[in-house]
Parts: sequence; C-alpha cells; structure tokens
Amino acid sequence: MLYVVLFFTLFSFFLYVLLGGADFGAGIVELFSTRKNKQITRDVVYRVMGPIWEANHIWLIILMVILWIAFPAYFNVIIIYLHIPLTLVLLGITMRGVAFVFRHYDAVVDNSQILYNWMFRISSLITPIFLGMSFAALIGGKIIITDDYSNYTFYQIFMMPWLNTFTVLVGLFYAALCAFMASNLLIGESDGEIRKMYSRKSAIYTVVLVVIGFILIAYGFFFDIEFIKDFILNPISIIAIVLSGVLLFPLWTAIRKENKIMSRFLAGIQVVLILFAAIYAHFPYIIITKTTELNLMNGVSPDAVIQTLGISLLIGGFLILPGLYHLMRSFKMIKILEK
Amino acid sequence: MENLDYARLQMAFTLGFHIIFACIGMVMPFFMVVSHKKWLNTRNPVYLKLTKVWQKGVAIFFVTGAVSGTALSFELGMLWPEFMKHAGPIIGMPFSLEGAAFFIEAIALGFYLYGWNKLPEKFHWFTGVIIGISGVASGILVVSANSWMNAPSGFDYVDGVFSNIDPVKAFLNPAWFTEALHMTLAAFIATSFAVAGIHALQIFRNRKVEIHKAAFKIAILFGACAAILQPLSGDLSAKDVAERQPVKLAAMEAHYETQKGAPLFIGGIVNEEEQTVTNKIEIPKALSFLAFGDFDAEVKGLNDFPKDELPPVAIVHYAFQTMVGIGTLLLLSGLLYFISLKKKSWMNNKKYWLFFTLLAPLGFVALEAGWIVTEVGRQPWIIHDIMRTKDAVTPMPGIKFSFYMYVCVYVALGTTVTWLMNRQIKSLNTSKD
Repeated sequence: MLYVVLFFTLFSFFLYVLLGGADFGAGIVELFSTRKNKQITRDVVYRVMGPIWEANHIWLIILMVILWIAFPAYFNVIIIYLHIPLTLVLLGITMRGVAFVFRHYDAVVDNSQILYNWMFRISSLITPIFLGMSFAALIGGKIIITDDYSNYTFYQIFMMPWLNTFTVLVGLFYAALCAFMASNLLIGESDGEIRKMYSRKSAIYTVVLVVIGFILIAYGFFFDIEFIKDFILNPISIIAIVLSGVLLFPLWTAIRKENKIMSRFLAGIQVVLILFAAIYAHFPYIIITKTTELNLMNGVSPDAVIQTLGISLLIGGFLILPGLYHLMRSFKMIKILEK
Repeated sequence: MENLDYARLQMAFTLGFHIIFACIGMVMPFFMVVSHKKWLNTRNPVYLKLTKVWQKGVAIFFVTGAVSGTALSFELGMLWPEFMKHAGPIIGMPFSLEGAAFFIEAIALGFYLYGWNKLPEKFHWFTGVIIGISGVASGILVVSANSWMNAPSGFDYVDGVFSNIDPVKAFLNPAWFTEALHMTLAAFIATSFAVAGIHALQIFRNRKVEIHKAAFKIAILFGACAAILQPLSGDLSAKDVAERQPVKLAAMEAHYETQKGAPLFIGGIVNEEEQTVTNKIEIPKALSFLAFGDFDAEVKGLNDFPKDELPPVAIVHYAFQTMVGIGTLLLLSGLLYFISLKKKSWMNNKKYWLFFTLLAPLGFVALEAGWIVTEVGRQPWIIHDIMRTKDAVTPMPGIKFSFYMYVCVYVALGTTVTWLMNRQIKSLNTSKD
C-alpha cells in the first residue's frame, strides 16, 4: 500500500506541475502580450481553462494532504522552514483564483475589469516563481534544522534558505516552464494569425526556458549546489534532459505541420522528462539541509495509516479520474480525446 | 500579546472567514438546482433567470471558499506544526476523503457552469445536484477532524507518544455525528436566512417582486425546516458535551459551583475574577435536565476543575447565549413563514418583508458564535486532554505580521464579494422583461 501512496504522491505532484503550471502559464502569456492579444488570450483562456482550472489546483491540496498523513516528519520540515514563501504562494493562489472568477462573473463589465485582469496576470507570474523558490529551498542545501533558535538569526533560519540566487533561478525556470506549456497548449486552440502569434510565443518561451535552464545548471555547478552536481553526474538524469532537448525538433515540426495532438503530447513529455530528471537524481532524499539529507521514506506513518490512506486514495481516484476525463472530453480540452 | 495569541487570532480569523464562504458555497447549489428544476418543469423564464443569477453566486462563493480553504490546509501546518506532526496521520482519513469530495465538486461545477446548451438538459441539471451533495459531504467530512480534537480517539497516548493508531476509529470519533449534524443544519439556516433576507429587502423596496418572491420562497423553505430541526440537534450536542467535555459545558453556562439540580442561566454578566454571574434569569434545575435528562443530576462546576485547564469563561458563555438566542428567534421565524403560507395577507404587509430583511445576518452571527463556543471552549487544549495549544504553535516568531496580512487580504476580499453580490442584484433589478 505504501507504493500506492507513493504513486499518488508523485502523480499529484506531476499533475500539479503540469496542469497547474499550464494554468499559471496562460496568465504569463497574457501578461507578456500586446494589448490586443491580451484580450484574445483572455477569451481563449476562459474557453479552454474555464471548466477545469479549479480542479487543476486541487492537486496541490491532495499533495499536501498526502504529505502530512503519510510523511509527517518530512511535512513538518517543509511547513516550519518554508512558512514565508508558502504564505506568498497562498497569497498568489488567492489573488489569482478570485481575479479569474471576478473577471468572468461580475454582473457589470466596467473599469474594474482592468483591476481583475492585472491581478490575474501578475499573480499568474508571481505564484509559480514562489512555488519554484519553495521547491528550490528544499533542495538548495541551506535549510538549518534546529531546536535552538537563539543561536541563529531570523534571517538565517526563515529567509536565507529560500531567498538566494539559486532559488530565484529555479523560480524563474518554473515560470518559464509554465509559459512554455501554456503557449503550446494555446496553439492548438486558435487559428490563422492568432495561431501564428502563439507559435512565435512558443518559440520565444522555449529559448527563455533553455537559457534559464543552462544558467541554473552552470550556477549550481560553480557554486557547489549539491543537488545540481549530483544531477549532472547522474547518467539517467542527463539522458532524460538531453532527450527532452532533442524532442524540441519534432515539437517544432509538429507545430509547423499543425499537428495539435502531437505537439501537445511532445510538450507534455518534455516537461515530464525534466521533472523526472530532477527528482530521479536525488529520490528519495528530497530535502537537503546544510548538514544532512532527509529521506522521504524515513518517518513514514504507521502501517494502519498508510493502509487507510491508500484505500481512500484508490476510492477517490476511481471517482475522480473518470469524472475528470469526461469533463475534459465534453469540453474538448484535450485534442487527443476528441476522436 | 505573544506569538501564540497572534497564531490563535489568525486561525480564528481565517476559519471564521472560510466558514461563511464555505457554507454559502455548500448550500446555494441546492437553491440553484431547485430553481433549475422548476424551470425545466414549468418553463417559466423567471426560474431560468434566477438559476443563472444564483449560479454566478455559486461560482464566486465556491472559488472564495476554495482558495480560503487551500490557505487553511497550509495554515494548519504553518501555525500548528507540532499538532499536525502527530495529529495529521491520525485524522488524515477525513481530510483525504474531503479532498476527493471537493474534487468531485469542482468537476461537477465545471460541467454545470459551462454545460448550458451543450449537455443534455437532465444530465446538466444532475451535475448541479452533484455539486450540492459533494459540497455537503466535504463539510461533514472535515467536521470529523474538528470533532476528533474534541473527542480524541483511535490511538494510545503513553508518555507523550502516540501509538496504535487506528485512522478509521479516529474518523468515526464519538463527537462526529452530533457536531456534523449541528453544523450542516446551521449552514442551511445561516445561508437560507441570509439569501431570503436579501431577496426580502428587494421585495420590501418593490423591485421585481415576482422573481424575488420566487427566490425568497425557495431559500426560506430550506432555512425554516432546518431551524425547526436544529434544537433537537442542539440537545444531542449538549448531552454529548456534558459527557465528554464537562468543563466546556460549565463554561458555556458560566456554572461555577458543582451542584445537584443545577439551574440554567439565561443572559447574565460574568465576572471571571469573582466567579459570579449577575443580571441573569435563572431556570431552576433546567441545566441538569438539559445536560443529563434528569432534573436532579449533578453538574460539575468550574471550581472543581484544575485552574490551568479552564477556558476563558465569559467569551464562551456570551457566545453560547448569542447562539441559542438567535437559534430560538430563527426557529420562531421559520414557524412564522409556514403560518404565512396559510394567511396569505401577511405577505402583503411591508413589515413582514422588513422583518425577514433584518434576520439576514443573524444566522451567520449564530454560526460564528457556535464555533467560538466549541473552539474557545476547548482551550487550553488543541487536542482535548492530550496536547495544549501553546505546545503546538510554530517556533517562527513574527506571526503578528502574518495575522495583519491575512486581515487586510480577507477584509478586502470580503468587501469585494459583498460589492459584487450587490452588483448582481442591481443588474437583475434593472434588466428588461
């Protein structure tokens, strides 16, 4: 049953990064568009994401709940030492969520739309940056776990681990990844000139992503970030990353040939490969502190807890996944399902 | 004030906010599907219009409830890491099931909001029913986690170590049924009277009376039925508290001296230092009867509990009085509505509509008061008799700032949502036909 729990942990993590990420990315694409294209993107986003966006973000709650039930010791570290960036993430999620409904469900369309739109776009950019920073803090090797708070300053314990060059780079990388996914998704939802616009955007975000990724790896290598070093030295991770890079060529071909199914599929595979490469090199040691590495599997909850959690997840999965599938199919959200 | 006080304030504030939005998001779908059904049956366009207006309300409240709920799921750990470290695995089951129910609700909402003219009519309507059912299920499930804090079960606790964890037993803890029943009815009462009150105001002002009357009738029916049932559930809750948390019961009643045939106090001003209650109305032997079903039963007073295990008495007593007082008023108002169905002339009287307008906020006042009773009444414990709140709080200093931030954000959010609802009503009133 532990494997069922582990599967759902990773499953909800991946889905949140993918679906939630494409969602954030749509806001980023909208933010960096011309005035006319902002309006177009706003409408496309509403049509494509509208029915599903709320569900996309529940994967984060599921992930948190699994962590605290099954891996309490691990969750404890996250929740104490990442208090501040997680608060900022929450603020972003709140702003973004309410701005999305306000702009589509306000009974009167007037100047307040300007406020909703900007709230939505800015929080769409900031939230994934802080999410990336929180994740980077876990693997950045700067967390100090202690019971003796008088020996350290507030800055050392609660700020430095998440606020440094490495975490900012990871934050930017994730934001770029979101924009990459969203622009590829939007290509398939548009025609003619608009389609060309998204194709251009997709190319730009791909370049941004590769550049930030390269800087990130170089920075980690030269400034002794253990996670990055292990990552570079791990053959499987490297193969995954290289493969993800190589897949850019068929992706571009698919975009040019207007093959919606193939382009989405390829973009999704690329993101999964990047995530897999990052997680694989260090699994299950996903917290790296200043002095030690914490194993996710240490301090797993007792068997009885894992059993009931596994059963709950299986029941939930059987109810949720078919529903989600039909939702996506009914509103033609995934072209693959249209046939 | 210390970090602990700010952490408690922040938790109280965010929960208090979330509960309002979650309740509305949980109950309004029922109004919406009833109106939708009436549209399908009668094809009277008033009901279609009403359904679409309420649907916007549901969408706005669902999202506000969802984001404040997401914040809460993090805050539990961020403010009380020590509690979550031990309690998280034990009470994980209701949380994971709640997550699933919430997910189903979000999927159904996606179908419903975007399904107009795209899905088969009956299936579309049915997805609305699913929203309501899964919303109520989420509420009932998550209350299990709270009732476990009042009636901890499903583990052994020896020398500060939790062992032999049985998540199913913890999930089905003995306080769950009474608490969940009380809370579900309260959610229906509070939301129904609030929605009915808003529409009553429009009728009072003579705006689009036909549609607002239709809305009022749907909303008040749920509220009136729930308000009439609530005293029965309250009685079950009181008996449960008397048995499991006698100190909470004593604080609710500001009952200081242990005595047989204890009287019930209505109102009264509590002086915690002198341990007296002045200006109260006393009903002889009533407390003993209500708590134990026996006029001569002994009710343990606050003085017979250790001093460091007492909750703040005055707050709990006042909150309890407020809840019961409003509950009684709403019960009578529910009866009044059913009588007015026979005596139709009452509905032509402006005072009738003014009366229901004034009732609008009271259900939520009572709901918040009830949560103050159960949460403040459990202090100084976070897990009754097991873990103290002060031992669970985060080691991070400066929660003060986090508290102020949440206050600013949620006040802004609350104001905006109220303003948006006002705009919905206005646009309904000014629309043609």
